[in-house]
Amino acid sequence: MMASTFLFCEMLSPERVRWCTECITSGVRLHPENQGTIKVFLTGDALFSLVDAQNRDSWNALSALPSLCIIADGDELKLQGMLDSVATGFPGVTITGSGGRDPFWQSLVLTLAKEWNGTRKAAFLLCHSPYMSRIPVYMLRFLSNTHSAGLHPELYTYLDGVHNVHNGQRPSEFENIGRNVSAIAGAAEQSGRDPWFAACSRCATARGYYQMNPGTGFCEPSSCIEDITIRPLKEILSRFSGNHPILSHMCGGIVAGAGIRESTALPRLVIFITNPPYGTEWTFGGLSLALAAAMDGMPTTVIFIEQGVYALCGTHEIPQNDKVFNVQEMIAATTDVPALGYLVHAPSLEERGITVSEQFSKIKKVRNPEISGILWGNDPVNAFSATRMIFF
Amino acid sequence: MDAVKVNDFTELTCTNLMIKLKIMLNRLPPGDALAFFATREQVDNTCAPFSTNGYQVAWEEEAENRYMVRIGK
Repeated sequence: MMASTFLFCEMLSPERVRWCTECITSGVRLHPENQGTIKVFLTGDALFSLVDAQNRDSWNALSALPSLCIIADGDELKLQGMLDSVATGFPGVTITGSGGRDPFWQSLVLTLAKEWNGTRKAAFLLCHSPYMSRIPVYMLRFLSNTHSAGLHPELYTYLDGVHNVHNGQRPSEFENIGRNVSAIAGAAEQSGRDPWFAACSRCATARGYYQMNPGTGFCEPSSCIEDITIRPLKEILSRFSGNHPILSHMCGGIVAGAGIRESTALPRLVIFITNPPYGTEWTFGGLSLALAAAMDGMPTTVIFIEQGVYALCGTHEIPQNDKVFNVQEMIAATTDVPALGYLVHAPSLEERGITVSEQFSKIKKVRNPEISGILWGNDPVNAFSATRMIFF
Repeated sequence: MDAVKVNDFTELTCTNLMIKLKIMLNRLPPGDALAFFATREQVDNTCAPFSTNGYQVAWEEEAENRYMVRIGK
């Protein structure tokens, strides 16, 4: 029996709610025996989607599924002033109470510890900078509860997430992320656990936290807290081969579930590219992570979806005086990587009235039931290997 | 004679260097070669494996952890 858990911390657009609902509904039909084994955890801005009238039909459809449980963060609902409206308007949604510290995160960690049978650690892939974003606060809640649950906490900072390594953080109004990361690392070490906190070297170099020492020819950390080690992405991705949950701001995981023997196969990675190609580092970061994982032999599927489909439209030409990676060349140059597969979401193309460029005509177009099949299908590989989903 | 600018790829990850090299080699006319600077790790993990795909790969140390690499078709 498979168990699936999703965590959404950021705003969920009606488009995303719609396709996720259709995929999950199709997935449930594939495995009607999986009663009560899909859990959707909502916190932060994702909670606003519950009260958005555009999403009402989708949430009602989801909450009507007997095999699905929607868990909303009661503390965040209070913060946002929506506790009463969600409690009265959505009887199908479970709201975590105020008993104990961080009941939402405690519930999430306990769920993951049970589903990832025998796991000894849990990790967070952090791609957001502190203070501008609240995601690092959620990372702290998660890792703190990971530690409390007796698991080894792991932190992988990537893209703007590497800003969390900066030493001397001194916010006047917010939780001190740097200090609290160090506190979790220290507490874990004192308890005899092995915290593994890392920052991607490419991202750290770009942002000035990893500087070349001309005397040695090697890079060294600069202005970094000591509890986070700067490492190559390849080294961080080697942690992905382990049998443990890895969360991020928008993510999902599917595992064989309690009682099923542990798989010997590598966990699979599904990367959803959801942003336009050049305005932010999301697309390049998602593709780089996917490629590095696949080149290390991890079965990896990249799905261009929502605004991510623009990566495959037209022919991108980088102006001579610009310095940016041409994502189309990046995709074209890597279609021969054996463990890597590219897919594009047909409804996202249709909704925008655009088509895939001729050079990418071989990239398979998929619809929601096909994504369900990829995630929950009856392929023997799916029965015993875990699948991690990360939205970029 | 104009000086030929040799690319410095020492700060690229192995993955991104591999992608960049594949793109550049696809555009390279037969008989030509790419020249660039790379680190020891990049030479071992990314550059040397191109020799198994029909490319001629050579490198020489220029400085501490800095190699001049040439890959030709």
